[in-house]
Amino acid sequence: MGAVKTIARRTFLIGSAAVAGGAAFGAYKISQPFDNPLEANLENGEFALGDYILIDESGVTIITPKGEMGQGVQTTWAAMVAEELDISWEDVKIDHGPASKAYYNEAVLEEGLPISSLENSGAAKFMRKNIVPIVAKAMTMVTTGGSSSTADGYVKMRAAGATAREALKLAAAKQLGVKASTLKTHGGHVIASDGTKLSYGSLAENSAKVKLPKNIKLKPRSEWRLLGTSLPRLDMKEKVTGTAMFAPDIRLPGMKFATVKTNPHLGGKMNGYDAFKAEKVKGVEKIVPMDNGVIVIANNTWTAFKAADLISFDWAKSDYPDQMEEHYAVVNAAFDKDFDSRQLDNGNVEQAFSDADEIIEGEYRVPYLAHACMEPVNATALLKDGRLDLWAGNQAATDQQTIAMSLTGLTAENVHIHTQYMGGGFGRKSEVDFSEYAVRAAKALEGTPVHVMWSREEDMTHDFYRPIAMGRFKASAKGGKPYAFDMKVACPSIMDSGAKRGGPSIPGSDMTNAMTIWDQPYGIPNYRTSAYRTDPLLPIGAWRSVGGTQNAFFQESMIDELAHHAGLDPLEMRLDLMNNDVCKKVLESVAEMSGWGRKLPEDHAMGCAFALAFGVPTAEVVEIKQTADGIKIINAWATVDVGIPLDPRNIEAQVFGGLNYGLAAAMMGEISVEDGKIVQTNFHDYDSLRMYQAPNVEVKILDNGEHIRGIGEPGTPPAAPALGNAIFALTGQRLRELPFNKFVAFA
Amino acid sequence: MKLTVNGDTHDIDVDEDMPLLWALRDELNITGPKYGCGIAMCGACTVHIDGLAVRSCSVRAGDVEGEVTTIEGLGSPDAMHAVQEAWNENQVAQCGYCQPGQIMAAASLLTLNPEPTDEIIDQAMSANLCRCGTYPRIRAAVKSAAAKLGGA
Amino acid sequence: MKFPILSVALLSISLASLTFAAESSAPIADINPPASATVAEGLEAFSRIFEVTSHPRCANCHVGEDNRPRWSGPSYAPFPPGQDWRYHGMNINAGDSRIGVETMPCSACHQTTPDLESKPHTPPHFGIDWQLAPAQFEWFGKSPSEICAQLKDPTRNGARDWQGLAHHLVDDAGHRGPVLWGWNPSGNREAAPYSLQQHVDDITIWGVAGQPCPAE
Repeated sequence: MGAVKTIARRTFLIGSAAVAGGAAFGAYKISQPFDNPLEANLENGEFALGDYILIDESGVTIITPKGEMGQGVQTTWAAMVAEELDISWEDVKIDHGPASKAYYNEAVLEEGLPISSLENSGAAKFMRKNIVPIVAKAMTMVTTGGSSSTADGYVKMRAAGATAREALKLAAAKQLGVKASTLKTHGGHVIASDGTKLSYGSLAENSAKVKLPKNIKLKPRSEWRLLGTSLPRLDMKEKVTGTAMFAPDIRLPGMKFATVKTNPHLGGKMNGYDAFKAEKVKGVEKIVPMDNGVIVIANNTWTAFKAADLISFDWAKSDYPDQMEEHYAVVNAAFDKDFDSRQLDNGNVEQAFSDADEIIEGEYRVPYLAHACMEPVNATALLKDGRLDLWAGNQAATDQQTIAMSLTGLTAENVHIHTQYMGGGFGRKSEVDFSEYAVRAAKALEGTPVHVMWSREEDMTHDFYRPIAMGRFKASAKGGKPYAFDMKVACPSIMDSGAKRGGPSIPGSDMTNAMTIWDQPYGIPNYRTSAYRTDPLLPIGAWRSVGGTQNAFFQESMIDELAHHAGLDPLEMRLDLMNNDVCKKVLESVAEMSGWGRKLPEDHAMGCAFALAFGVPTAEVVEIKQTADGIKIINAWATVDVGIPLDPRNIEAQVFGGLNYGLAAAMMGEISVEDGKIVQTNFHDYDSLRMYQAPNVEVKILDNGEHIRGIGEPGTPPAAPALGNAIFALTGQRLRELPFNKFVAFA
Repeated sequence: MKLTVNGDTHDIDVDEDMPLLWALRDELNITGPKYGCGIAMCGACTVHIDGLAVRSCSVRAGDVEGEVTTIEGLGSPDAMHAVQEAWNENQVAQCGYCQPGQIMAAASLLTLNPEPTDEIIDQAMSANLCRCGTYPRIRAAVKSAAAKLGGA
Repeated sequence: MKFPILSVALLSISLASLTFAAESSAPIADINPPASATVAEGLEAFSRIFEVTSHPRCANCHVGEDNRPRWSGPSYAPFPPGQDWRYHGMNINAGDSRIGVETMPCSACHQTTPDLESKPHTPPHFGIDWQLAPAQFEWFGKSPSEICAQLKDPTRNGARDWQGLAHHLVDDAGHRGPVLWGWNPSGNREAAPYSLQQHVDDITIWGVAGQPCPAE
């Protein structure tokens, strides 16, 4: 384990701050390419702690503005700190960030807790301004997404914990008049060699005054007592007793409730509206027109919903095509353009095909998908006395702050983002539209807190969808082995779509289009992957596993086709092709766990798929059964390698959750466009996987990989191809389009 | 209009046709039951009326006869109901938004059918949607809750 | 299927509500049997009766022993390939109780209220407890001759002669039950064809004609 000093010099600033009755310790990660400019600024005190540990009389609170959307990040981050800080798991407290406390106790704020910085994140601002081309990198610092949290926190949270521990020891040493090296820490106390016990709380205030130690060792893995074990999640009791606070659960004095109706032609303006009837509804407070629709503010949500339904609108049309097939036509046409990226070009594919006896080809496509978080997007805002408070479950606190600043003209110090638990995120809550409407409502009713709840219908029809995409492949085998594989994928660019709504414009290729194709561990002698980029269509965004959702379906179905063409067992063929041992072991493990190759009943079949996504090799096998009512998915097995598994039970949950999310999309997920509007409006026509359709799952976690990896997304990509490949094995029907329920019935 | 929720009787002034869900959430500030779809397709708003599961988004406040119990009334963090204990032990929740509804549905099921088979669980619990895909643990938790309640 | 005593109690309460639900003074439809009707007229009436009984508003909950209500008709798509119906979403199974007491009562979503108005895609409701018709009254997917045979078989129609059937329709509608709802489903749902009065008239014409059934 490296010394913090070394790490700190390169990537972290470890700091402490005195707070009322205690101390805050934290680390700020700095990406390496920006060392110099940032360090200069940091010394000026412009940057403060991002995530930190608050120690005071009430104990230790671990504070992270990381959005908890179900992935267990807060528990895992807390464990990193608790591990180094030597506190008992039962004593750990967590908080999304002190801003939420500050609202109730402004005195804390005034006393100089490094508060605004938590969500203002000066570092992120700086990077936005100065280092635009590398925004993607900056984004990982301030957003919760890309399965990045675990890896991000792994060093910095442990380092912060260790730093705090040593500071507490130094404070105790001073108080006791002994050398710090004679002191031990355990259970939230510093313990002297004579048995004297000093609680962290009693030492907190003085610990902020010590000169921070420079050379701190992180505990080796062999000494871990919390990390690597399955810990009870810190949010679990709240979540099973209805006491967990999601954004819609915030209640403030005098609060009003609102909803929003915007143009169903996404991105289109509102030409006009007639709210005559709506205004007459008892309880309606205000109807706020915007460029693209209205906000209806009322004294309860139901009244707002009801009134909103009574408004008639004149909507302008959007600039994307009106009908679904036209969208596919745009994607299809992209194959005729120059590729956007060609990350892999091994051997000579063209030459190989000209030598080949037989070439197989195929074309695949997938529809748009909604995120459909159980919690429709929403936010609460209060604008009062030159200060804006915003409560939102969100994956990108700084982006929420930026939009709020631009709408109110307030500076960062006066815009306070209170990140709440998210009722699902999956990428949707990294957008800012829900905050925008809440801020607009707050501006219209200054001094009054307003909660803007979207109806499910509004949420479903105004998403930033998983893009439609197409995949084409051409392949051949030689001597009973895969010989050439040429894969092309085309889809609109998430980056372009983001730029269109004010996000960063990034020059160069959009690598999300090419995710999970070019870096797969297959040693095919002639192997080429190209990604094509279409003009923007519907607004699109990151959807659990981003490019991996469609690309793994294309890739792994195509690989399966190639295996059948070559007369090879699809799993064995993948094993033979794999040029990476960590990946190979993952696939071997899932083969063993599922009993791949065993004799199955006549009406059963299995399919397998593999994907290396977000650095995590993931292999899945799905077993299906033909019943009188259709195909039933009965079992699924998944093996992942996350490098260092920090919390196995939580990783297991993320893997089967990701798998189920992918199965839902594969079986029945489809957002389509008709007359320029989204067809699907609610769960009756955009249903999802339910209990009776969910397979029994077994998950295995390996730790052969070198790097620690996050696990929120990798479970999703192999799900669709594993199911499609199982359907082929069962029926002989190769399904090249999602969702599968267009072609087969599911029981 | 009078509503008895978690043992307390409230007098609220709302339209008869206001769904119980919004009367609970916005009038009484009882926010355990969640809004998910408004059309009884997701189950996040599930509460009990006289001990049995009801989608509070789809019952008009004016039609409520009987006592309403929400997740908050089922048990508290310090005194959890057997079903909540089972959920906690099985570490079911991920995002947690659907879980109040899941738990209320499961508690209702176990009142009606104390020893549910897998098939029965599939029938009773499939009207509660979970986008995090926590189903394997929900199934396990329903069974351990059944065992707890049976042993009591 | 065993289920506990509480469930049985609920079941009996539910069925009782059929009898004791709110009364209405004026009959909602009249029973005026014709003095006479030919077999041809009876068959013609039955063809309209079949259109009603096989209509989604009626047939979706007149299902057999699988106890699984169906979703069919306009606005209930998407259907599995090659099919014009699907099982009620969410794996709903009303159980042998036909009101879901083994799992989740139908009334968890389908409220009992005299108000027939419900929005598109919300659970519809009416004045008696939502439930499946008894399994012997199976109409979903059945042919005209099968439904005809069932309707005139007292062992499979609730021990009713044709007058009994007509009275059943009027009684149920008087309680603002499914019969009335079938013609007033609201929420953009397609109503059953013809009208309640026409349906009652058809039952009586068919009855007076001697309950003739179409050949297979």
